[in-house]
Amino acid sequence: MSDATVSGGGRRKIDLGGLVLSALSVLCALLWFFPVYWAIATSLRKDDATVTDFALIPQNPSLDNYFYVFANTKMPLWYINSTITSLSITVIAVFVAACTGYAISQLKFPGRRVLWFIILASFMIPVSALIVNHFIIIAKIKMLNTYPGIILPMLLTPVTVIVYKQFFDGLPREFRDAAVMDGATEFQLLFRVFLPMNWGVTTALAIITFIGAWNAFLWPFLAAQDETMMTVTVGITAVQDAFGVRYGRWLAEAVLAGLPVAVAYLLFQRRVTQAITLSAGIKG
Amino acid sequence: MSSVELSGIGKSFGPVEVMSGLNLQVADGSFCALLGPSGCGKSTMLRMIAGLESVSAGTIKIGSRDVTLAEPAKRGVAMVFQNYALYPHLTVAQNICFSLSLAGASKAVQKEKGDAVARLLQLEPLMGRRPAELSGGQRQRVAIGRALVRDPEVFLFDEPLSNLDALLRVQMRLELAKLHNELKTTMIYVTHDQVEAMTLADKIVVLDKGRISQMGSPLDLYNRPANRFVAGFIGSPAMNFLPAVLGSDGSVMLQGTRLMMSPLAIAEQQGELGVRPEHVHLCDPGSGLIDAVVLVVEQLGNTSYIYMDTPLGQVICEADQGVMVQPGAKVGLTLDTTHAHRFDNAGLALRA
Repeated sequence: MSDATVSGGGRRKIDLGGLVLSALSVLCALLWFFPVYWAIATSLRKDDATVTDFALIPQNPSLDNYFYVFANTKMPLWYINSTITSLSITVIAVFVAACTGYAISQLKFPGRRVLWFIILASFMIPVSALIVNHFIIIAKIKMLNTYPGIILPMLLTPVTVIVYKQFFDGLPREFRDAAVMDGATEFQLLFRVFLPMNWGVTTALAIITFIGAWNAFLWPFLAAQDETMMTVTVGITAVQDAFGVRYGRWLAEAVLAGLPVAVAYLLFQRRVTQAITLSAGIKG
Repeated sequence: MSSVELSGIGKSFGPVEVMSGLNLQVADGSFCALLGPSGCGKSTMLRMIAGLESVSAGTIKIGSRDVTLAEPAKRGVAMVFQNYALYPHLTVAQNICFSLSLAGASKAVQKEKGDAVARLLQLEPLMGRRPAELSGGQRQRVAIGRALVRDPEVFLFDEPLSNLDALLRVQMRLELAKLHNELKTTMIYVTHDQVEAMTLADKIVVLDKGRISQMGSPLDLYNRPANRFVAGFIGSPAMNFLPAVLGSDGSVMLQGTRLMMSPLAIAEQQGELGVRPEHVHLCDPGSGLIDAVVLVVEQLGNTSYIYMDTPLGQVICEADQGVMVQPGAKVGLTLDTTHAHRFDNAGLALRA
């Protein structure tokens, strides 16, 4: 009997490399998670305890900070603003990207290659490089402090278009032929055949678009200057000054701001990973 | 039901012309097979009839209608694809009724038509399943059902049995033949398998490099091939071709042996004698026309194929199962010249 097959108390081969890697992964995960945990723990401490109670588990946990944030800031309104803008961005960006990806992949029209190169090129330019232009345009068309003003520049998602194009490119030609023979129009082909064939791609792209839109800071910070139009991420920075140094409340806000994304991630973990894998080949 | 008529069809992909001046008539209710090796243009031809590929020249008529520029769905044709192309997210019933649903037919109409097709193809127990839960044969039947529900004037099949295993292929072949007998709809069937073409079709069109090499009934093509290409493509195992000097008096000089066939109106020339394996017979070494050494013996039960090396090249002989020869054995061969074919050096068949 060889070492590898010894059983019942015999020597067992230990994969040392695997063990070391696993230990490293656990360590990294703990290192990454600790600040998040500490933020949650601090947010549950009473205001005066944040600088005195350093126990791993808060001694007298309370939700006072959360109640305070909800009662004394515009947090509920920011939540609504973030929900409206993030959902709108997700729906519109994914819809437009699906249509664009489909057109570039499946239709023959003059300028198709040029359009494709423009999309590829646009994704090499960081959004922050364009932010001044966006601001001037949106200001000139008097859309600052409006939902469309926050949403419009954030609809530029070339990666989503690229993922969709690759997905449509990979589908066997026969599906298109069969649907055309069945009398499908281009819209029916896209929405009744191609997209439903693999909702996974759309779900995955929608989730990362939503997470990106919810977490976005720079553009909403510039576009929403009025407190009533702010999103959660912008709102929590606006009130810090008003509070003075109140770690418990700050962190309660931060936890609330991150909560929807964390919930979305936990619910759709598999899809999020799929989306990251789908776009990994592109982002390089 | 409708006839199909292709006149002067040409097809170019960019500067490359793959087909030109092609004419074909498929009679109403007939089963026509487009046969040829990969890249001969048979699928392109079918896709042009379907409207999935545009034509560069010529006209296509279905019945009395000119459909050259018509949309695929408006041509009255339905197509069955090699890889079935069933929509994976829809059930069998939804797949079958997809075209009706696109056309806005009511649920009741969809159900009625879907059920009728399911009955005909024995798909009733499978209607709620998705394609992934079906076997290859069942998927193919659903694909046929999807074509059937549109009540087309012409059925187009693009190598529909290629993805099935050998046993299922024979079974589905039979089902297709029965379906054609029942429906009497015009069917055009693309295949590279000459057995499928021979068994199913009443008319075979052999294509070679974008040209029609020959068309006719299966037996016509088998017994009177127009050229070396058709002679070699139709029949399994393929016809034996032996280099020979052909004389106008009907003489055929094979390796110093002179055979006499019917006279031809040609000048003496180098050509080939084509003999099918079933018309080659074994005899004792030295007593036949050609001496040969057995290379391989394939026993098929009812018959056996004997592959031999001769001074004129490799020759295949179809022998009775009782014939026992071993690889390496020396044998003699005789040829049944009444069934032999003569080809000139351009490969065209020569007939009296």
